[in-house]
Amino acid sequence: MAATTEKDVNYYNQAMPPVRDTRLQIADTFHGCACEMADCSKSGCLLKKNRSFWQTNACQMALTLMMCSTVQNSVVIMHGPIGCGTQLHGLAANAVKGKTNRGLPDQKAPIWLSSNLGETDVINGGEKKLQETIEYADRTYRPEIIFVVATCAPNIIGDDVEKIVNITNETCAAQVTALHCPGFRSRVVASAYDSFYHSLIRHINFKAIPYKDYVPDNPADPAAQMGEAVFKYKIAHTVNLFNATSIGYQDEQEMVRLLQALGLNVRIYAEYSSADDFRLLPFAALNVSLCNMHDDYMLKFLEQEYNMPYIIEGMPIGPDQTRKWLVAIGKFFGLEKEANLLADYEEKKLAEAIEPLKPKFEKKKVLLGGGSVRVAAEAMALKKIGIDVIGIRGYNFDSNADPVFEELGEELPDVTLTVSNQAYEFANQLVKYAPDLVITHNGSHAIPARLGFPSIQLFDAGSTFFGYGGFYNLAKKIIFALENNNLAKNIVGHARLPYRKEWYEQDPFAYQND
Amino acid sequence: MACFVERPRTTCALGGAIAVINALPGVTLVNHTAIGCGGNLSGVISGGGGNMGDGIFAGSHMPSSAVGEREIVFGGANRLTEEIENALDVIDAELFVVATGCMTEMIGDDVEAAVRAVENPRKPVINISTPSFKGDAYYGYEIILDAIFNKFVPKSEEKDSKLVNIFGIVPGFDPFFRGDLTEIKRLLNKLGLKVNTFFTADQTFEGNVLSASKAALNILLSPVWGTTIVKNFEEVHGTPYFQTLLPIGAIQTTKFLRDLAEHIDIDSDLLEKVIQEETDEYYADFIRATDTITNRQWYFYSATITNSNYAIPVGKYLYEELGWHQNDTIVTDILKPVKKRALTKAFEANDFGSTLTLDTDTQRISRELIKRRPRNQGQRYWDNNTPFFLLGSSLDRTTAAEVGGTALPISFPLSSRLITTRAYAGYKGGLQLVEDIFSTLLA
Repeated sequence: MAATTEKDVNYYNQAMPPVRDTRLQIADTFHGCACEMADCSKSGCLLKKNRSFWQTNACQMALTLMMCSTVQNSVVIMHGPIGCGTQLHGLAANAVKGKTNRGLPDQKAPIWLSSNLGETDVINGGEKKLQETIEYADRTYRPEIIFVVATCAPNIIGDDVEKIVNITNETCAAQVTALHCPGFRSRVVASAYDSFYHSLIRHINFKAIPYKDYVPDNPADPAAQMGEAVFKYKIAHTVNLFNATSIGYQDEQEMVRLLQALGLNVRIYAEYSSADDFRLLPFAALNVSLCNMHDDYMLKFLEQEYNMPYIIEGMPIGPDQTRKWLVAIGKFFGLEKEANLLADYEEKKLAEAIEPLKPKFEKKKVLLGGGSVRVAAEAMALKKIGIDVIGIRGYNFDSNADPVFEELGEELPDVTLTVSNQAYEFANQLVKYAPDLVITHNGSHAIPARLGFPSIQLFDAGSTFFGYGGFYNLAKKIIFALENNNLAKNIVGHARLPYRKEWYEQDPFAYQND
Repeated sequence: MACFVERPRTTCALGGAIAVINALPGVTLVNHTAIGCGGNLSGVISGGGGNMGDGIFAGSHMPSSAVGEREIVFGGANRLTEEIENALDVIDAELFVVATGCMTEMIGDDVEAAVRAVENPRKPVINISTPSFKGDAYYGYEIILDAIFNKFVPKSEEKDSKLVNIFGIVPGFDPFFRGDLTEIKRLLNKLGLKVNTFFTADQTFEGNVLSASKAALNILLSPVWGTTIVKNFEEVHGTPYFQTLLPIGAIQTTKFLRDLAEHIDIDSDLLEKVIQEETDEYYADFIRATDTITNRQWYFYSATITNSNYAIPVGKYLYEELGWHQNDTIVTDILKPVKKRALTKAFEANDFGSTLTLDTDTQRISRELIKRRPRNQGQRYWDNNTPFFLLGSSLDRTTAAEVGGTALPISFPLSSRLITTRAYAGYKGGLQLVEDIFSTLLA
């Protein structure tokens, strides 16, 4: 657990959240071996790295939208020109699926609006228009929460979005908050998580309301003391689990299952939560993250403000990482022995299921790509079942992931590691490495497919990857892909990627520089 | 002043340019923007355009200057020059179009100078201005094609009297663009014409894009979109244009072909022969379908929620060929007054007993449609305009469900269907629309 610093505290009082570039050591460009990464992060050499050729990808706004569009009974207002945030059409469909899977009361597609800044607004300012949009949304759709997403344009013209949020919090029934996430401020999309949490921290109520959320004890009631003791006991055994867009309902349930086996009460935040849920957020003994790079901003705030301890202990992918995660939580509650016993039992069951599949993994060359913590955790787990991990592509990196990469550096010191979300580098690597299987981020599968390589999802919110059940599921997916790659083979002679043949003759990292 | 919009069924001008290069052969787009714009917009288009995919050049393959805070403060022109130089080395395209986004337009980067600074480019590089605050995706479609055809494509004095270009159908935002263009091309080929569709699989950069200036006629299949392209085309290349609507079904297509013959030289015997042949084939299949339609009494009060291109042809088809009451024709495009007038004029010229509503907001449209189909409030007799059938986007399915109606998503965002060669235009397309409508009812 990292200590909360004075610097972190100050961020929470600011209108604008920091980007990861200012808060942490970050990287969007790196290549080398796994053993160099953690050192490079600590020595600061990551910061100097850049590319002289870039391809388009995603921005922090894209990821904030993934998060806030899942919040129940909320409306999202894109404060920007008409094009920003139109991916909400697609995200809304995912949010509906997620809500349905969880059986939530609100299963509607999230409504969103664009303040549709035109040329005159860009010249004269868009504050008035934003206020009108917020007030219209409040009276028309009656949401509980309104997320204002401030894009590049209003941030360049200097709209005071926070001022409008404060004004409309007085005039609207909904809680209004703002996500400040101009894409140009950071190439590291993980800044989005901080931006989303910052919006919750700034304007969303985390305090329970008497007679709405609870009935205060009547001191004259003889059962009151008992009631309070029960309540305190419950809180002392309650864990808040922080999810992420890449973590589906089934993954959540696998972790809930394991924690419940330790006798803990589990609640899940912040995606798919509602205003009611947020008010009860502080009633827990511990906050737990599922990814090093996802939640530290929020968990440090909750520690600071509500005195809630937190655990950030990797991503529970594969038996080793899952045990580590589980034992860390067990330890906190004095259940270390129980957690180890549970892990022993689960590992034995999993090993029995995986053992007969192992010959199929033998020496299979796999290239992994996607979120840095996830690829590192998965690479280590796959190595244990006999897979030959030949390359790891982390999409972006920050020093929150140092512990994971230190471990990776020890486990797979020689494997080629790159921090890259760049398609041209990916295509070049594929041609050079000719892997037996590619495990990669959603949205990038067309590249291996067009080159004839089988590929499976690194994550998929509709499936399971976490814990023990998730690892078995992953193993099965790998076998499926290895056994029939006919789709990719079918298209390979007919499909093309847009790169010159000269590019494939060059080093995949030719445009990375120090 | 532009008003706020709920769930706009468009993206920005840059998005329109991306949609174009998604389908146009041999052209890539160098995004002079922050790193996310191109990726975000590509996702919207490839998903919303009937899951059309990223083609060869769109999606995460597009070069981007990926400007950051430093470039916003100090200017991004140098970064752009470097990006173009390296894009020329890596990307195998015939034409590089540099497109700006909001942030680089606002800081005033001299993009033209940045393009000129590229020494001896291996392939031609042109630039366009596509900030979102100036226009939406449909404008982006006009901007990029206007630049390619009217500023880049070489002029040609000699015209090929049998060659036509087709404009007006916007890739992705018209999710059936490939099938529709293929069907129009098939028919025109039968009439002895050569067709540049630009966006179908058979097209090439060399053979179609560069030869466009030889065309004897431009056919604009839209009441509003693409007028800038064809007007400037006429000025630059001297090719006249014929503006009409995308024809759906036998009646409209037959009329389209006859109208076309007034603008380009087509052998009249051949024309009549083709029309006869196509009509006979069409009705043979259509009549089989009517066995089911009539026996099940599938006549509906209907509404359409589409862009300007599909509104009139689809509505007219429902009214004229299926015998429906097409009450509500709702167009979701964001239209400037001049385009509004053009659409209204086209709508009035094609009377099919419907009301035209221009509305961009999904929820407001939904409420209005529900209001027009009231539930019983204790009256003995009340008119609820049912049974109801709705042809809209994937967003509108819940609206139909709320009034007990049936929905077929056909317009952007069409994320709930995967479209490859499916067409609703022409004779073949009319039958496929019949298939889709009545299969939905049978399901």
